[in-house]
Amino acid sequence: MEAILPLSATVSPVTTRPAAAAEPTVPSIWLPLSFIVTGLLALLTAVGWMIAQPDLLTTYHYNQNIIALTHLVVLGWICSVVIGATYQLVPVALETKLYSERLAKCQFVFHLVGFVGMVWMFKTWNMKQVGHFGSILGLGAGLFIYNLARTLLRVQKWNIVATALASSLAWFTLSILAGLSIAAGKCSYDSTEGAAVASGVRTLIAGLRSMGAFMSRFDAISAMHAHAHLGLIGLFTMLVVGVSYKLVPMFTLSEIQNRRRAGLSIALLNAGLLGAFLSILLRSPFKFVFGMVVCAALGMYGWEIAAVLKARKRAALDWGVRSFITALCLLAPLGLLGAVLAWPRLPLNVFTGQLENLYGFLGAFGFVTLAIIGMLHKIVPFLAWFKTYSPHVGRFRVPTLAALYSEHLQRIGYWTWLTGLAAAGAGILLQSDVVARLGVIALSFTLLMLAVNIAKILSHVLQPKLSPLPGRAKSS
Amino acid sequence: MTTIPDESQVLEALREVIDPELGCNLVDLGLIYDIKIDGGAVSVAMTVTTPGCPMHDSLRAGVRNALLNLEGVASAEVDLVFDPPWHPSMMTEVGRRMTGAY
Repeated sequence: MEAILPLSATVSPVTTRPAAAAEPTVPSIWLPLSFIVTGLLALLTAVGWMIAQPDLLTTYHYNQNIIALTHLVVLGWICSVVIGATYQLVPVALETKLYSERLAKCQFVFHLVGFVGMVWMFKTWNMKQVGHFGSILGLGAGLFIYNLARTLLRVQKWNIVATALASSLAWFTLSILAGLSIAAGKCSYDSTEGAAVASGVRTLIAGLRSMGAFMSRFDAISAMHAHAHLGLIGLFTMLVVGVSYKLVPMFTLSEIQNRRRAGLSIALLNAGLLGAFLSILLRSPFKFVFGMVVCAALGMYGWEIAAVLKARKRAALDWGVRSFITALCLLAPLGLLGAVLAWPRLPLNVFTGQLENLYGFLGAFGFVTLAIIGMLHKIVPFLAWFKTYSPHVGRFRVPTLAALYSEHLQRIGYWTWLTGLAAAGAGILLQSDVVARLGVIALSFTLLMLAVNIAKILSHVLQPKLSPLPGRAKSS
Repeated sequence: MTTIPDESQVLEALREVIDPELGCNLVDLGLIYDIKIDGGAVSVAMTVTTPGCPMHDSLRAGVRNALLNLEGVASAEVDLVFDPPWHPSMMTEVGRRMTGAY
């Protein structure tokens, strides 16, 4: 048989340069996996809670149960998975090693205790304990931010992914500080009056009192909305934008088409979010203008991703990428809804309240969760494959990533999720508990498909499926 | 008597090493840049589809395993190179069919 070296004809061996940084970049699989499994359990709990109490979707969102549910979804599900995936994806996207796995493991404990305690205390509306558990979560987040910041310092060639990551870390910091400030604003600090307390504690209490007094200047609902936007746009959307500039070309065999456009999308997102945060907090009519800046940023992003997809060399998109792209498409109705809600003369009535619920629901379960579900079908198979099959490559025939799970189940899950989103969205707008419940039941069906697929993937870790190579091997 | 493998046998062996994400072997993906055979010593220059690819250690080790598994190969050296960077146009026709590329 004639040798086929696709590049040997065009590439002189003399021109090839050894890779400078060929050290392993992937952390232990148990680190991202522990965050991901925690996140999935939180999502299952949240969906079960919504099935039991669909009125959580159909009534105005400023009450203790809905705030507890929101934190379960945002911190327990989204944040857990995003942090776990970040520990795995960032070294890949930045082409460097994670600064410290030990810090990441410590963060897991703080994160778990922090968000579980916060959700519980929100439910009982004990804001002082929310502040305490929030501080524990904040400590963990501090470790995450420090770890990622040190990882960023290792980047040899700064790029748009690094810029997006640095931006999201800054917004995450601000989001946590804003959340803790809101909690401080809802507490009273008279329990230590007259007591002999250490000067450090007294200073801390004085600081919290000042913070509480400062936060009382702002309308509570506006502060909550501003805080939510910092988290959902600043951390999650920014991360999705940045990481997808690496992953979408990688999975579709394409390239970034216009680096300037990609960079501009991140700059505009930063500028728009800063303005939106301040204008929402201050109830300024300028929130519409800054909302439009955010929409323009996402429009630029969508334009670049569309160009990347158009230039792709891989014709068929797998269902993981399709879910991710569908999630990005949901940014269009979300942006439209955001623009309506930011309109300065929008009447404040029951329907507006339901539109706000729909906006939050579509953001958390439409855009973010669908994007995560798509990427989980990339990340979890990789983790299992890397742990199980990596040492056997070249010695045995090993399965592909797609062979580790059922694409059929994934496809069913994709459609039931979209059906559930539409039904639950209709239930929210119509304030119908029955329709909302049916929608969430459809969402839970997707989670069942996802759970079966994850079980199938992880079964390879316990029972690898290796087959021998054809008989060409050494007789020894 | 030990038989020294020729280039086509080395390529056949490397066709057993797949990129698990793309589901295609490294040869037809165009990731094998160069092969040198000097008696029982074989050295290969290869790349990965993207710098920072988390599979690069597995694939490099897989190529080395596949080489050492060949009759007549006593030592194997695998260099990972990024220059020139890989491009989908480097795939063979077989590779394009396997990955659904056009």
